[in-house]
Amino acid sequence: MWDIIAVDISGRHRIKGGYYMVCAAAALTVSADHIEKVKQVKILPFWLKKAPGLLDVVQLIEDTANQLSFEGTIVAEKGDMYNQPRWVPESMFSGAFKYQESLAERRAIELAHHISLSARNLLIKELDIEA
Amino acid sequence: METENQVILVKRTNPRADPERSEYLFEELRELTRTAGYVPVGELTQTKFPDSKYQLGRGKIEELAELVRTTRAEKVIFYNKLSTIQLFNISEICGCQVIDKFQLILEIFAKRATTRRSKLQVELARLRYEIPRARAIVSILKKEEKAGFMGLGDYEDAYEQGLKKRITRIESELESAEKDDESLRTFRHRKGFSLVCLAGYTNAGKSTLFNSIVDESVEAQNMLFTTLVPTTRALELGGRKALLTDTVGFIEELPHWLVDAFKSTLDEIFLSDLILLVVDVSEKPEIILQKLSTAHDTLWDRIQGVPMITVLNKTDLLEASELEAVMEEIGYMAPNPVFVSAKEKAGMQELKAEIIKHLPAWSFYSFSLPNSEKGMSMLSWLYDEGIVHSVEYGERISVDYEARTEVINRIQSLEQNLDE
Repeated sequence: MWDIIAVDISGRHRIKGGYYMVCAAAALTVSADHIEKVKQVKILPFWLKKAPGLLDVVQLIEDTANQLSFEGTIVAEKGDMYNQPRWVPESMFSGAFKYQESLAERRAIELAHHISLSARNLLIKELDIEA
Repeated sequence: METENQVILVKRTNPRADPERSEYLFEELRELTRTAGYVPVGELTQTKFPDSKYQLGRGKIEELAELVRTTRAEKVIFYNKLSTIQLFNISEICGCQVIDKFQLILEIFAKRATTRRSKLQVELARLRYEIPRARAIVSILKKEEKAGFMGLGDYEDAYEQGLKKRITRIESELESAEKDDESLRTFRHRKGFSLVCLAGYTNAGKSTLFNSIVDESVEAQNMLFTTLVPTTRALELGGRKALLTDTVGFIEELPHWLVDAFKSTLDEIFLSDLILLVVDVSEKPEIILQKLSTAHDTLWDRIQGVPMITVLNKTDLLEASELEAVMEEIGYMAPNPVFVSAKEKAGMQELKAEIIKHLPAWSFYSFSLPNSEKGMSMLSWLYDEGIVHSVEYGERISVDYEARTEVINRIQSLEQNLDE
């Protein structure tokens, strides 16, 4: 069993006036092919006037993961890191970082993606952001 | 001097790419080349970002042309995907045929395809590859055209249209074959067979393992893509009947359209009850991880809930302590690991035990049947569908039985009818 923090960011496209992003971080225990336990989930919305760079993305993920009371290797999709080779984002994070590899990690990213996407949709609707 | 099948291999690497990994990918290209029956007589690599006209730099292409002339190679094989313009430009300068890795894989598939169905699949993959090129080829040819004459005329449209028509025809033919497959799978399921599938990176030893488990002699070679048509054989596992299928291997960066064209072979994996993911454990841990990652990437979205056993093959090439060290590094990517040596037939019992553990659950049921003609015919049906643990003949026939839930439900409803 391994402790991981699966992260995903939704909304990295321009809407009126800027970029309204939501990051989801899920603290999980995984085996090679299954998510064994979901321990905690946190989300963090983030507003940016200009297009986010790699540093902004790393900062947002760190801030979201810091809200969790659990530790683990941060696992993200390569696309979230602008398809940079692993060592580039790895050197920017304060803790362990990797891209998704195993079946369980892929499933975990899928979970984080659904959380961040629905949280963003809900916030946009409730806060009337696009109107 | 014999120049037939002589080729030159070329690879462009992005700056800052891992050199060890680049070398491994190049080795894979060499392996594919040999599998296709070519003899590599020269190699050329360059580290730079892609050039839109030539993929490599202009100077390197001229160097390549010189190499083609001196070695008298008949073909140049690129690792990188080439656009139509690049193919055209490079072949103009080198004066020989230029292909990329994807065309090479297609050539291998075309050589290996033996059944009508696999031939159709290969042709479909080739046509899909050609479609975007058809337009580009026409536009290149149009450059030579002069207003009013020397034009392509109807051929311009007919070329692309012809390809599209052929694609539609093959697709519909393959679709009907797919339906046949589906009904065959349902039939096998209904007959109480559990479907077990061998999957894994190409040349992991799937066919050798297949032969060892079922005691057969399916063609197994130390070569990439030996298996292109899935082979299925029956297998008895602790009284339960299972069907084991050997499938086509995965390869890194296999283009989507190619996987799609071979969908029916991959469907065998996606729709099975249990997947045996075969891995060559004698390789370096980082290469094993990369291959596992490719396999997981191909499978993960389609195998909702299907259990997977990681079969770590070729253990005869490693010491026990080395195996332990490898496991430590790859453990997080290897669900339910089992060590085997398919060649030496070692670890087969453990593998079979693990397979039985992960097959879909069967339930026990004890009941009695009337000792009549109807009851006896039902008993013979029961033998076909599951495991009869004990039978006692008396006034009635008492049976201890184990089978899939659907079969048990069917027995329960039939029991009432028999007694009436």
